[in-house]
Amino acid sequence: MNAPVRPGALSAGALPIALAEPAIRFEKVGKTYAARSGQQAVSALAGIDLSVPTGSILGVIGRSGAGKSTLIRLVNGLERATDGRILIHGEDVTKLTESGWRSQRRRIGMIFQHFNLLSSRTVFDNVALPLEIAGTPRAEIAAKVERLLALVGLADKSERYPAELSGGQKQRVGIARALATDPKVLLCDEATSALDPETTRSILALLRQVNRELGITILLITHEIPVIKEICDRVAVIEGGRIVEEGETFAVFTAPQHPTTARFVETVTGVEVPEHLASRLRTEARPGDSLVLRITFIGENATAPVISRLSAIVGIDVNILAGRIDAIAGQPFGSLLVSVPSRAPESEAVLGALKSLGLKAEVIGHVS
Amino acid sequence: MSPELIRLIWQSTLDTLVMVAVAGGIATLLGLPLGVFLATSKRGELFAAPAANAVLGVLVNATRSTPFIILVVAIIPFTRLVAGTSIGTAAAIVPLTVAATPFIARLIEGAVREVDQGLVEAARAMGATPVQIVRKVLVPEALPAIVLGLTLALVSLIGFSAMVGAVGGGGLGDLGIRYGYQRFMPDVMAVVVAVLIVLVQLVQSIGDRLARRLNKRLRHA
Repeated sequence: MNAPVRPGALSAGALPIALAEPAIRFEKVGKTYAARSGQQAVSALAGIDLSVPTGSILGVIGRSGAGKSTLIRLVNGLERATDGRILIHGEDVTKLTESGWRSQRRRIGMIFQHFNLLSSRTVFDNVALPLEIAGTPRAEIAAKVERLLALVGLADKSERYPAELSGGQKQRVGIARALATDPKVLLCDEATSALDPETTRSILALLRQVNRELGITILLITHEIPVIKEICDRVAVIEGGRIVEEGETFAVFTAPQHPTTARFVETVTGVEVPEHLASRLRTEARPGDSLVLRITFIGENATAPVISRLSAIVGIDVNILAGRIDAIAGQPFGSLLVSVPSRAPESEAVLGALKSLGLKAEVIGHVS
Repeated sequence: MSPELIRLIWQSTLDTLVMVAVAGGIATLLGLPLGVFLATSKRGELFAAPAANAVLGVLVNATRSTPFIILVVAIIPFTRLVAGTSIGTAAAIVPLTVAATPFIARLIEGAVREVDQGLVEAARAMGATPVQIVRKVLVPEALPAIVLGLTLALVSLIGFSAMVGAVGGGGLGDLGIRYGYQRFMPDVMAVVVAVLIVLVQLVQSIGDRLARRLNKRLRHA
């Protein structure tokens, strides 16, 4: 099977724009809240170096209080950096005045966790709001809004009020509204955190579509690892106001370097040792024990009939204890917990065979 | 009841309506921008001007804590300056307006502060100017609460208007005191009270209905 191509990792030939200036670039950016009476100055962000390649989706993941909402608000000037520079399509925005920011913001869309739709306006008028603000002629607004509502699948809800919509529909209105002024960049502030898993998937699919079809660069922040797994080409992990790890989603997920990253990705990539087994695990083998292994599959291996091949090569039975096959950023990834005989010739044969098949195997312990 | 009395009650009702409507109208025109300013001018807000906010806040509180009957007397020179006289229905509109403006400003401030700050942030993210945020977001979103506040203010004004008889203002309150009380005519008093009850009921139910129609936060059946 061919591994699907990730847009973020495309060669320059396929997508020349990937070589161009990143859509957003943070250079040693810091944000410190000045000391107030009786309070110390608070450093929210420090030494942020991060590039969001044009046309990609980059996800910033972190716990609450890690600084991710400050980070995303620096991009459209809702918060101002106190150190470093931020470049948007090569233009330094750090020194912009408030009115400079206003025209800049019309080129950056934003969607929110709680949608932030105006309850007094219909769906149509909510989507029209950014165009009214930009002074777009009325006739042009009508055509544009109809087109956007069709794009997000809400053409029939045009005259409804937000209170009459479900959460997923409200976020679709939010997306249509964010796209109204034809932005090149879309900021997503925990856009799916208030939605159920199924609705989350449909909103993520829409964001993916917006990214691919309209070529809009997306910077999103989330505390939900499935969001990253589902649509992000690249991921940055933020903790204590610093980026502790950043890279292509698949690479970061399959080989996390920082303990925080490891904890986040564990929930989607790891296979826990089942309780009944964990209590019986020993580090030393006794005669007649079984060896417990965790096998990690990456890329095309994830879908290959590995276990039957293994049995065929070494001629012993492989017992599957737990497992998971999934896709990360569109690439298959799997993890299996198996047991094989602990005896030296057999276990060594198994480990050798796994190596020859190009699989990563990790010894978890021995059980009787 | 003599036709003469009925004509008097009718005239007093009209006087009350005129005083309340004119004072309420002017006070709304003044109180709306004042209330919006009070709601948006603290530190870090849209029109951040903490000093002006504090000064206006004190002024508003001072006016509101002065009992109305004392306010009426205290501002007589101002009333004379504005209305040319300090006696009569036209003159009574001045203290009514002065009393209602800070009241309405506080009600509007409260209504505007209830608007979700997320909406302000969303509008800022769209590139809206502070004035656009007020006109397109804050006031429309606060409108149901503003209408309820204005209803409350009008009902209070009807009550206040009964006191302006003290400075020769007409109206139902004045009629009740002069005929119902001083001339021992309980039937006049009863009619005055009944008319006032009907007026308040009317204002309140119109306001409630309007606020409900403007409120799109509730699901429509």
